[in-house]
Amino acid sequence: MILNKPKQIFVLSTAMLSFISFWKAASIVLCDFGSSAYYSGGIAAKAFGPAFPWYIMGVMLFAGLMLGVYTESCTMFVRGGVYVVVKEAMGKVMAKLSVSALVFDYTLTGPISSVTAGLYLAGLLENVLPLVNINWQIPSRSFAVFFAVLVTAYFWRANIRGVEESADNNVRIINFVAVIAVALIIWSGITLYIRGFTLPPFKLEFMPNALGWTVNFPWLKTAGLIGIIMAFGHSILALSGLETLAQVYREIEDPKVQNLKKTAVVIFIFSILFTGLLTFISALIIPGDLVVGKYADNLLSGLALELTGPYWARLFMQMAVVVSGALMLVGAVNTSFVGSNGVLNRVAEDGILHDWFRHLHKKYGTTHRLINMIAISQILIIFISRGDVFLLGEAYAFGVLWSLTFNTLSMIILRFRKLEEKREWIFPLNIRVDNTYVPIGLMAVLVILLAATGMNMLTKKVATIAGVLFTMTFYAIFQISEKMNQKKAQLYAPDEDAEEKLNMRREADINTIIPELKKPRRVLIPARNPNNLLHLKAVLETVDDETTDIIVLSAKITHGFATGSETMGEDDKELFRAVVLMAEKYGKTVKPIFMFSNDPFYSIVQIAQAAGVDEIVMGVSGSFGAEAQLEKLAMAWGMLKKSEGAEKMVTARVVWEGRQMSYQLS
Amino acid sequence: MIAYKFRSFVAAPSMTKQPDSVNLALLVNPENVFFLKGDFSRESAVAFLTEKIYPQLGTVITGKMLSQKVAEVERSNQVLETGFYIPHAKFTEINRFYIALGLLPAGFKDPKSGLIVKAVLLLLSPNKPAFFQKHLNMLSKLSQVFQPVFIETLLSSSSPEAASALLRKAA
Repeated sequence: MILNKPKQIFVLSTAMLSFISFWKAASIVLCDFGSSAYYSGGIAAKAFGPAFPWYIMGVMLFAGLMLGVYTESCTMFVRGGVYVVVKEAMGKVMAKLSVSALVFDYTLTGPISSVTAGLYLAGLLENVLPLVNINWQIPSRSFAVFFAVLVTAYFWRANIRGVEESADNNVRIINFVAVIAVALIIWSGITLYIRGFTLPPFKLEFMPNALGWTVNFPWLKTAGLIGIIMAFGHSILALSGLETLAQVYREIEDPKVQNLKKTAVVIFIFSILFTGLLTFISALIIPGDLVVGKYADNLLSGLALELTGPYWARLFMQMAVVVSGALMLVGAVNTSFVGSNGVLNRVAEDGILHDWFRHLHKKYGTTHRLINMIAISQILIIFISRGDVFLLGEAYAFGVLWSLTFNTLSMIILRFRKLEEKREWIFPLNIRVDNTYVPIGLMAVLVILLAATGMNMLTKKVATIAGVLFTMTFYAIFQISEKMNQKKAQLYAPDEDAEEKLNMRREADINTIIPELKKPRRVLIPARNPNNLLHLKAVLETVDDETTDIIVLSAKITHGFATGSETMGEDDKELFRAVVLMAEKYGKTVKPIFMFSNDPFYSIVQIAQAAGVDEIVMGVSGSFGAEAQLEKLAMAWGMLKKSEGAEKMVTARVVWEGRQMSYQLS
Repeated sequence: MIAYKFRSFVAAPSMTKQPDSVNLALLVNPENVFFLKGDFSRESAVAFLTEKIYPQLGTVITGKMLSQKVAEVERSNQVLETGFYIPHAKFTEINRFYIALGLLPAGFKDPKSGLIVKAVLLLLSPNKPAFFQKHLNMLSKLSQVFQPVFIETLLSSSSPEAASALLRKAA
């Protein structure tokens, strides 16, 4: 008699199911967030003069508050980010507006980073080429444009081919940057000890082009609180990249919330020391006229060159700064591609971007039309800027501020709208009124953001015009797409790409999957109903996934012989989406397996014995009941047992609300 | 070994070995092994074994109770892929296992699974929490022993005595 063999095995092999440490998560965020250290100081100095280091440091301290806002939002939404948070709080219209502003932010991240990298490189070449008797006059801005286009084209191609951001590379970059930063800080300390220093003035000296339309409002004095808000608004671009924290949260490993907090603390400390302190030190060491003159476009290179010591050593330091900057800034260009593509895909999944944009590349399976659109926008922006990083920086703040403002406002609204939702962490400074924690702290942050946003609208002509145009264009695209999708939805229901989005691969045999299980302990979790995953939750809450492989098995009942053409149904995909979401929530890696079988218990035992699991954890079946489940499992276990012997003990559990039944198989 | 116990969700799992081993050999004797020659269906085979197991029980269960319970569990019990069928029922009134094994040289086609069944073992177990682990062990043991080749060997044996001797040896 031929035993019933499973016909097809589908393995969900998405990258979403591997999780990263808080240090790697912090590195990913810092590669974007920290890159602003290379240009924010110079841009702020050009806008309002020698008081810039105070404001950059202030913005970095404010970043601590924004990290708190993001921490609270991440604990509420595993797959969060501005779009999800704003949609939950204020609905789709506001969500579309906020995501349009966010895309503007991401789109500008590429040009500002690549142009800055080009400017740093041009600055270095100016010093290095004469040493090898090449006396070329490098037109730094033209060179920066050329370099930026090259970098953008490179990442355009890489993203079309489906390059993945590697957290390990991010860690290496941040480690290298940290070493350079420590060297700079120590050397700067020695320089300041030898030369002495004077603290930068608080007085604001706004350049005419930093006042925008406020020159027409003489009652708006560029002093006092108004001046502080103006200067703060000109420095706020240093906050760019925080959204990456929301995008990376789903990948953070267990214990998720504790690791999120650690991530936020690491980002905060690094930002204070790297962006804040180095910008401050630059103002102490570099002569004032050189800050806004020679070194405005490459401030940290200027710091390296103005340190005390022999020229060759300073030049070597400049090289190290340029290499670290190039690595971080070029990485940020990739982040801008991955980030905008990710955000646009997220909204596309929600039906507000037409399927035309989601068309997959024939060879590489990437959303090439979105990537093309991002690349073309970035290259256009690079040419329009003509390498003027100040212009890019001015425009950049628009998207940063609006997305932060929308996010913070939404978190305040959610405090009142989602009263019953348990939060694992809330932003400090709250007053409890009945069941509500009135978010005084969040409200204070919102006031600061609104003040800066409002002031930036007046002082930054380029940002306001370009930002509004860009945001409105994207909003219009979203609106039209949504309308078209609504009409289309009535004509076609099936989504042909859904299977691909789950990254399924087919295997003919369970034995091909066994080598992928490398941890000493293994738990098998059969699952059928996306609404009955209590047993998976129980395992995810308790098991240590460092030492345990968690295999989630869905065995679909089929009758007759295998044809080889069986595919997963929508209900099966829904189950796996629920499994993936739950695994993400707990930050624990699972190995989901789907198979067709005449008898699910046979399949459970077959997988359990082949994989050598230590435990089988089942949810209670509504149709059988726990006792019958255990009986069927026991019979299947005996039927498939190879021979008597000193085999290891296998615990089987059936878990349901408040209770469980367990026994041991051998 | 199968150990079973009820406990609260939050309690730590107990890995204590339970005194739950089962000895199939002790249960098998020529009096509870039957060759069912001729045409049998799933229902008629189970009814035959029910009739044969009843005298072993003494007076603790009435014939009606037994038939009703077996018919009830019959609806949910499944034939194994090996072609072996274990209709099993639990009774609070009994304190040990009772078995009746039917060997069907002609076999019958199980209407639910389409499998050809050549061995049916009716198992009655005590319905007591402490006994459930043994019950599971017994099911596992029976499923392990009654593999297709062994069923054919039993069918080729000359008498219930020879079959029970083979079974005791295998157990």
